[in-house]
Amino acid sequence: MASFLALMLEYWPQVLSGLGNTLLLAAVISVTGLAGGVVVFYLAISGGPLRRRLTEGYISFFIGTPLIVLLFLMYYGLPQWGLKLTPFTVAVIGFTLNVAAYNARYLMTAFRGLDPDELQAARAQGFSDLQVFQLVILPQVMRLSVPALTNQVILNLKDSSIAFLIQYAEFFAQMQDLAIRSFRFLDAYLVAGAVYLALVSVVVVAARWLERRYVLPGVRRAR
Amino acid sequence: MTLLSVQDLKLEYDGRIILDGVSFDLAQGELKVIMGPSGSGKSTLLRCLNRLATPTGGRVVFEGRDVLGPGVDERALRQRIGFVFQNFALYRHLTALQNVTLALRHLRRMPAAEADERALRQLARMDMQAHAHKYPAQLSGGQKQRVAIARALAMDPAVLFFDEPTSALDPLMSREVVNILHQLRDERVSMLCVTHDLYLARAAGGRVMFLDEGRIHAEGEVDELFGPNADPRVRAFFHQELRQAQTAQPIDAAQPMDQAQPAGPSGPAGLAER
Ligand SMILES: Nc1ncnc2c1ncn2[C@@H]1O[C@H](COP(=O)(O)OP(=O)(O)O)[C@@H](O)[C@H]1O
Ligand SMILES: [Mg+2]
Repeated sequence: MASFLALMLEYWPQVLSGLGNTLLLAAVISVTGLAGGVVVFYLAISGGPLRRRLTEGYISFFIGTPLIVLLFLMYYGLPQWGLKLTPFTVAVIGFTLNVAAYNARYLMTAFRGLDPDELQAARAQGFSDLQVFQLVILPQVMRLSVPALTNQVILNLKDSSIAFLIQYAEFFAQMQDLAIRSFRFLDAYLVAGAVYLALVSVVVVAARWLERRYVLPGVRRAR
Repeated sequence: MTLLSVQDLKLEYDGRIILDGVSFDLAQGELKVIMGPSGSGKSTLLRCLNRLATPTGGRVVFEGRDVLGPGVDERALRQRIGFVFQNFALYRHLTALQNVTLALRHLRRMPAAEADERALRQLARMDMQAHAHKYPAQLSGGQKQRVAIARALAMDPAVLFFDEPTSALDPLMSREVVNILHQLRDERVSMLCVTHDLYLARAAGGRVMFLDEGRIHAEGEVDELFGPNADPRVRAFFHQELRQAQTAQPIDAAQPMDQAQPAGPSGPAGLAER
């Protein structure tokens, strides 16, 4: 193990850039996935039955399809039509579509817990549908969904590792490279696991803080 | 002067007649009470008047303008009508003060300081200024309803609609709301109040309309309406209400503060108006 750590030190620029790429991808898809989830959620609740069915279809499709299929389709499939995208672009698009579907589902679930009278009161005050969404629905639904949404960030961090299968040089790809160079597979994967665990712990601490800070008054936390 | 004139208002849902030709006038500064059994169309009537529901026939003239015609700015109309609900319907993620300022800030585009000042004045009028920074979950039912009334009044509406404002309250808290209705009537605020509560109807002292099966069957002062010469329908309703009042729970002064209203079994259906 000690000699593997020495190897990591020797190759630190590679390890560090991998770590940077992992954090970059996880951060980008967490933001775009949340924004996308909010948009899908809005479309789902603001339109008629047709729109609702379409957004439900979107959500079910992307939750039901393995992400790896989508990534391979875009990275190895699309070039056959002459469309060549970088690994990062493919990863961002693929993850965003997928994560947005999950986030939209969490928001829809929280929405069902809102008081319909409150929404009617907001309309009766003269707010537009968009204002009711921005001022009454979204603030409540986001706060009710903090545990689910932050859990999704943790998943994003861990799942970003599969982007290594489409040649994205993230952290796990670099560790894999070191493992092959040194033939120390066990050490490499143990270290990789420990690093992911450490990163996740940071997110967990931040999530706890967010939960405490943004808990809806009068809603008891399940814990 | 007539503020609101309702003429032959009709509403049908899937072939079911909910409102069957309702007509009445509300004068400026007048308080009118609408009573009637559950399901008689009282809430639907109020919702038609601010276009939360769409009637299938009739005319509504409010402040001299036809409200049901095309090209009516329904959001502007709703801002002229303060609506107070049975279940308070306060925004639970906002403090009492923020509940009152939300419309001032986002519909009137009022600067924060001005909105706060105005909201605090309305909360003071409801004797709620001490609770301005509490969340709905930290208030009793009566206090929540007073915040809801302050929220409605802050927009300077031409009329206040109440939809069973005391039905979710125990008798002690009902009294707080009844006192406020009294106070507002003395200030000549125009009000239309739907209620089940005979005590409220009597204390409010306005004219009472009796709605049943989508029609107004009787109109008059409380005492003549529910007196010995009453319409048999009214009498049946009256007896039933009295019976319920007698079997009602005794006042529990030690009510828990957090009487969170559970959402309906299915939750909200969506943003779209139906
Ligand atoms: N959104 C709706 N869809 C179908 N029926 C409704 C709806 N709202 C009210 N109704 C029906 O209209 C009738 C009148 O309801 P409502 O106005 O709530 O009565 P009240 O307020 O007097 O108890 C009831 O029979 C109710 O079932
Ligand atoms: Mg009703």
